[in-house]
Amino acid sequence: MKRIIATLVVALFAVAMAQGVTIGVLSPLTGGAAGTGQAQKAGFELALAEINAAGGVLGQPLEIVIEDTKADAATGVAAFEKLMTEDGVEFIAGGYSSGVTLALVESFRTFQPVVSWIGGAVSGVGIDGFDGIEELLGAEPWFFHVHPWDYQNTEASTAFMASTGVKSVALLHEDSAFGGPGAIAAAGLLQDAGMSVPLVEAFKSTLTGGTGDFRATIAKAAASGADALFWIGYDSDVVPLTSQIRELKYDPQYIFGAPPGWPSEFDAAPEAQCVTGLIGYLPNLPNAEAKTFLDAYVAMHGKAPDNYMAALAYAQLWSYADAINAAGTTDQDAVIAALQNGTFRSPMGEWSFKPSVIALHQGFGSEMWNVFQFQDGVREIVWPLARATAPLASCR
Amino acid sequence: MDLSLLPQAIVSGVLASGLYALVSVGLALAIGVIGIVNFAHGEFFMVGAFLAYQLFVGFGFDPLLSLLFVAPALAVIGALIYLSSIRFVLRAPELNQMLLTFGIGIILQNLALLIWGGDPRTIANVPYRSLGFQVGGVSIGAVPLGSFVISLVLVAGLYWMLASTPLGRAMRAVAQNRIGAGLVGLEVDRVYLVAFALSALLAGLGGVMIGVIQSPTPTVGLGFTLKAFAIVVLAGLGNIRGILGAALTVALAESLVATLVPNGDALRNMVFFAIIFVVLVWRSRRVA
Repeated sequence: MKRIIATLVVALFAVAMAQGVTIGVLSPLTGGAAGTGQAQKAGFELALAEINAAGGVLGQPLEIVIEDTKADAATGVAAFEKLMTEDGVEFIAGGYSSGVTLALVESFRTFQPVVSWIGGAVSGVGIDGFDGIEELLGAEPWFFHVHPWDYQNTEASTAFMASTGVKSVALLHEDSAFGGPGAIAAAGLLQDAGMSVPLVEAFKSTLTGGTGDFRATIAKAAASGADALFWIGYDSDVVPLTSQIRELKYDPQYIFGAPPGWPSEFDAAPEAQCVTGLIGYLPNLPNAEAKTFLDAYVAMHGKAPDNYMAALAYAQLWSYADAINAAGTTDQDAVIAALQNGTFRSPMGEWSFKPSVIALHQGFGSEMWNVFQFQDGVREIVWPLARATAPLASCR
Repeated sequence: MDLSLLPQAIVSGVLASGLYALVSVGLALAIGVIGIVNFAHGEFFMVGAFLAYQLFVGFGFDPLLSLLFVAPALAVIGALIYLSSIRFVLRAPELNQMLLTFGIGIILQNLALLIWGGDPRTIANVPYRSLGFQVGGVSIGAVPLGSFVISLVLVAGLYWMLASTPLGRAMRAVAQNRIGAGLVGLEVDRVYLVAFALSALLAGLGGVMIGVIQSPTPTVGLGFTLKAFAIVVLAGLGNIRGILGAALTVALAESLVATLVPNGDALRNMVFFAIIFVVLVWRSRRVA
């Protein structure tokens, strides 16, 4: 009898070991942010194929279960709880939308899996009366934030603006949890850097129910007399905003935007000329990993990534695989320690989790960002100068 | 409040009303003639926008030329949807009808996601998209002006058709009394089919214009659907003749608030919901 029980125990242990590791992914695969979600999915698929081709995790194939959040708070919470209760995952990846992330805070705290989170940049730092994601989750030992925080985005944007020599900046922002806090932080940093901000104006994004008529907002920016235009919105706002700027004969020296992605084929549109933007990954980044990633991505998906979230998702899944392999176990404390102490490769260069203002584990910081400019249909890197592929050109 | 921007606000509002009327009149037609609230109407805009994009990418067609192809394509799609699903729920409870059209909208959105992906697309080379003329210190965009004129012509054509053609008279008769119209020999089901196809055609034409102004995405119809419902409610459910005035009211109110109020653009949706609220309360008090 003892022999039978011992055999069963060994068999069950072997089965458990052979099941491998499953990571739950939350991503907006459909809905208004589907472009970003599909980019994340493409990045995860590439990383998963490479990880498993390299031997998987703990000697077993890695698996991922992707749930669609639709970039909707209620759907995101239900998707997360399904991953916890039905799929039984212990590790969460993906992530997009500050609104969805804020809605997930209590559920994350209830289940406390290891959460590595790409999106949700709204930190709340420096904003009175508003609790942001870094304030709410940053001190949790199981929370790892991959994407830079809003103030890190703004640090990069402000440093770029300061490098252009402009004296005044009109700031337009979409009105949700993404653009509002970002604009407040940006206005403060621009002023700290010696620039005046004669206009901070909200608009209704096409992603959140707007119809893309930004003429009133642009007319206000033109009337402000600012040297440069800085806008925070979504990729679907790019075409109406840039075309209406030309239509209204608004002529700022620089047009600088910080959407999560840029529309496909926009590079070839005449409205794109001289528009500048903040981006985490570009194929022409001067590092070997960027080129390797691009070649593998094109081989798998047949085209270059349109959205830097593909590169971030790729980096995130690889960091999980490296950390679990380094820990040699799926024990949460061991994996947390391995994520905390590891250094990881990515298309954006080497990276690791470090403390930020509040967070214990912050991945990329302002150093991740590049500013590119559309020049004759090509996205040339114009800032930082060390990575520049072309000089910045004025729109005037 | 910068009153120097007031003339621009008025011109922008008036020009925007044309497109608002076009996207609303198809919805009003479906409600007024067939008696069905079509929650997939915004997805017809989306399909129109994507077809214009595809014709540009595949054949280099300018969106103006695409109008000639997208219009019949959307009429056929509308007719097929009517024949395969809508006609079976015409006598069903309203909730069933709404759930069906809501489901059709989700199917169309996900088909678009499968075919074109989730990335916003660009009809890249539209030479007149950024064109604007200065008249007395006011900027008039070629696209808003063009879409205003085209929309007015189409809506006026629809009014004329309803008032002066046998088909229009049949539609009005069916709208007033389905059973009576059938008793006097009208083919009610055929009139419904034509009305639904026409509704989809008008939405598709609006979609082409939206495809010029915005990036086609599977959810591009959302903002305009909200506007269309607001305008239809403001005009009176099914009142096709009231659409122009309602569209002008909503577009002007939005433009004035967006221009004259700080952060006013973010209040656009609040403006039209406030208009609906006031109108519905006023109407209910008048009835009482």
